[in-house]
Amino acid sequence: MAILEVHHIEKHFGATRVLEDISFDLEQGQALAIIGSSGSGKTTLLRCLNFLEKPDQGTISVAGNLIFDAADPATQRESEVRKKRLHFGLVFQSFNLFPQYTALKNVTLARELLAQEQPDFKENKKKILEDIQADGRELLAKMGLSERADHYPSQLSGGQQQRVAIARALALHPDILCFDEPTSALDPELTGEVLRVIRELAEQRTTMIIVTHEMAFARDVADQVIFMDGGVIVEQGDARQVIEHPREERTRQFLSRYSEG
Amino acid sequence: MIEFFTSSTFQTVLSALNSGFLKTLQLFFITLIGALPLGLVISFGSMSRIPPLRWLTRLVVWVIRGTPLVLQIIALFYVPGMKEWFTWPSGENGRMLAVCVAFIINYACYFSEIYRGGIQGVPKGQQEAGQVLGMTKAQIFRHITLLQMIKRIVPPISNEIITLVKDTSLARVIALQEVIWMGESFMKGNSGISGLVWPLFFTAVYYLAFSGIVTVLLGKLEKKLDFFQ
Amino acid sequence: MKNMKKLWALLLALAMTFSLAACGGTSDEETTTDDQTAEDTSGEDTAAESDLAYVQDKGTLVVGITYFAPMDYKEEGSDEWIGFDADLAKLFAESLGVSVEFQEITWDYKVEELDSRAIDCVWNGMTLTEDVVAAMGTSNPYCTNYQTLVYSADRAAEFEGLTSLEGLNIAVESGSAGEDAAEALGAATVPVQAQANALMEVAAGTSDAAVIDVLMAAEMTGEGTSYADLVYSLNLNEAQDLPSEEYGVGFRQGSDLVDAFNTFLAEKVADGTVLKVATTYGLQDAVILE
Repeated sequence: MAILEVHHIEKHFGATRVLEDISFDLEQGQALAIIGSSGSGKTTLLRCLNFLEKPDQGTISVAGNLIFDAADPATQRESEVRKKRLHFGLVFQSFNLFPQYTALKNVTLARELLAQEQPDFKENKKKILEDIQADGRELLAKMGLSERADHYPSQLSGGQQQRVAIARALALHPDILCFDEPTSALDPELTGEVLRVIRELAEQRTTMIIVTHEMAFARDVADQVIFMDGGVIVEQGDARQVIEHPREERTRQFLSRYSEG
Repeated sequence: MIEFFTSSTFQTVLSALNSGFLKTLQLFFITLIGALPLGLVISFGSMSRIPPLRWLTRLVVWVIRGTPLVLQIIALFYVPGMKEWFTWPSGENGRMLAVCVAFIINYACYFSEIYRGGIQGVPKGQQEAGQVLGMTKAQIFRHITLLQMIKRIVPPISNEIITLVKDTSLARVIALQEVIWMGESFMKGNSGISGLVWPLFFTAVYYLAFSGIVTVLLGKLEKKLDFFQ
Repeated sequence: MKNMKKLWALLLALAMTFSLAACGGTSDEETTTDDQTAEDTSGEDTAAESDLAYVQDKGTLVVGITYFAPMDYKEEGSDEWIGFDADLAKLFAESLGVSVEFQEITWDYKVEELDSRAIDCVWNGMTLTEDVVAAMGTSNPYCTNYQTLVYSADRAAEFEGLTSLEGLNIAVESGSAGEDAAEALGAATVPVQAQANALMEVAAGTSDAAVIDVLMAAEMTGEGTSYADLVYSLNLNEAQDLPSEEYGVGFRQGSDLVDAFNTFLAEKVADGTVLKVATTYGLQDAVILE
C-alpha cells in the first residue's frame, strides 16, 4: 500500500494558479525526485505537503488515513495540523537552523517540547531527556558530525549546517522526509557531503521526496521521478527511465537544456 | 574643602537629594517593569491579523509617541479628577502612581515599535522550521523567536533606557519630589536653607553615576548575547 | 534561559496588577458620585455636592502649598510643616474633625490641582488677585501684603526713596502682583519662575533689584538669612496709590468649605488665636483682625 497518496491538488496565489491537478502516490521505502525549472511549482507542492501552504483543492492521505481534504474544514484545524505535520520532515534550502542553539540542541529541541506533553514526563523527566540527548548524538554521528555537536550554527560550514538540519528533521522519525533543493545554497565543493548523506538514507530505505536540480543524483538515488512544468505534472515514472528516455517533448527540452548547462 | 563636605548644610542637602533620587529610581524601575512586557503586548496588537485591532493599536501608539510625555503626565493626573471619573490617591503615593502609569504607557509604546522591528526582523524561515517540527505558536515564540528578537532589540532598547533615566525628571511637573525637584527646592527654601544653586547642579552627579551603571550593565547583556549570530 | 522565563512571567503579572489597580480606582469613585448627584442643584459645576461632606468622608484635608516662609515652611532638621498658614490649617482641619495633609504643588497648576481633587485647598499666602477670585472659591482675606523692592545693601543709596523704576532691570515672579507693580513703575522686567528665583537674580547681580511680597522679603533677606546682603524698602502699592493686597485661602468653586472657613476664621480672630499665631511668625502688623 502507498504510504502517501496525493489527489488533485490545486493551489492559487491570488489570480495565479501555481499547482493544477497534482496527483501521485509514493510507496514506503521509496525515494521520489521532483524536477523542473524554477517557478514550475515544485517547492509549493512540497510546502503544501508540510502544511506551510494550504491547497485550494484536493486531498492528502498518509498510510491510508485522510489527513487533508480541501473540502473538509475539520481536517484543517490548527491543533490537528500540528500533529499531522509530524508525518513529514522538511529540510530547507537555506537550512533555517536555530542560531541560538548548538547543533545538538537544534536536533533535540522539538522532541523535548513534544515529550513535555507526555503524561509521564514529570516522573521520568531525567530519563526521557537523557534518551532524547543520546538519540540526538547518535543522529549527528550518522551525519558525521560527532565532533560538532556542541558548536553553534555560525561556527559550522554550509555543508555541516545542512547535515545538522537533516538530523533535526530525522529526530522526529517522520514517515516521509522532504528536501527542498538541499544543495542549492551551498558552494559546489560542499554539495558532495550532503548528497552522500541523502544517498545513505536512500540506501536505508528512508521514504523521501527530494526537490532537486541535480539530475545525475536524481537518476542514481531516486526510484521515482516527477517532472513539473507550469504547475502541472508533465511526466512521472521510473527515475532512470524518465531522465534517460523521456517520453514527453517538454521533458526532453528541459533535460537537454540542463545537460548543456 | 573637607569642611564643606562635613558641614550640616551639605549633609541636609545630601539627604534631601538622596530621598529625591530614591523616587527617581522607583519611577525608573517601575516604568521598566511595567513597560517592557506591556510593550510586547502592544507590539502584538500592532501586528494583529484583525485589522480594527491593528489600526486601533497603531493609532494609540501614534498619539502617545506623537505628543510630549509631559503633556500626558499632566493630562493623566488632572483630567480624571476634573471630569469626576476618579481621583488619584492623595499625597506623594498618588502622584507617583499617576506618573508611573503615564511613563509605563509612554515607554511601552516606544518599546512596542522596537519589538515589532525585532520580531519582524527574525527571518520567516525560523518560524517555518519550528512549524514543521510540530511546535505550537507559543513554543515557537518562546523557544525560537524570543531570544533572536532580544538580541536585535537590545541596542535600541538600551538607548531608550538611558533616555528614561533622564526623562524621570519630567515627573516634577505634577510636584513629584524627585531629585531635580529636591535640587531646586534649596533655591526657594527647604529645611531653612534657601538661595542655594549648587544642589540643583549637584543632581547631575546622581544622573551620571546611574546612567554609567546602566550603560555598563546593558553593555554586558549585549556581550552575553554575542554567542550566536 | 530558565531564569529569563520566570522574569518575563513576573513582569507580565506586574503589568496586570497595574491595570487592575487603575480600574479599581474608577469604579470606587463612580459610586460616590452617584450617591451625591440627586441632592444639590445650586448650579455650580464643580463641587455641586457638599465639598465639606466629601472632605469629612475621606477624613483628610489636603492643603496645597509651596515652600514659602513664614507661611508654610520647615525648620532646619525638622520634617514638620509650620508657619502662619500651616498652623492655622492644622487648626481648621481639627475643627472639621479631619486630619491635615500638606502637599507641595507646582504653583502654575494650583487651579487644576483643586479641580482634579488632588488637593482640597490652596493655603499659601495667596494674593486674592482677579484671576484667583475668578478661578476658585475664595475665603475672606486674613492678611495684608504689599509689594516691595529688594536690592543689594551695597547699592542702598541708589534705591532709597525711589518713586520710579525706569531704566532698571527688575526681577519678578512671572504673572505675579509684583510684575504688575514693576511694569506700572516703568521698569524693564525680568520674569522668572518664582519669587525665590527673583531674589537669586539680585544676589547673582543679573538683575538690579527684585519686586516681591513684603512678607517674603522680611523672612528671606537681611541678617541671619541666606540673603544677608540684600535689603528691602518702599511700599510699591503706596507708590502707585494702590490699595494693599490681601491674602486668602482658595477652595474649589462653589465649595461649602468657604463658608466653613469663614466661620472658623471669625471664631479664631474673636478668641485671639489668630493674633497669637501671627505674633509667633512676626506677622502681627499684617494680619487682619476684624
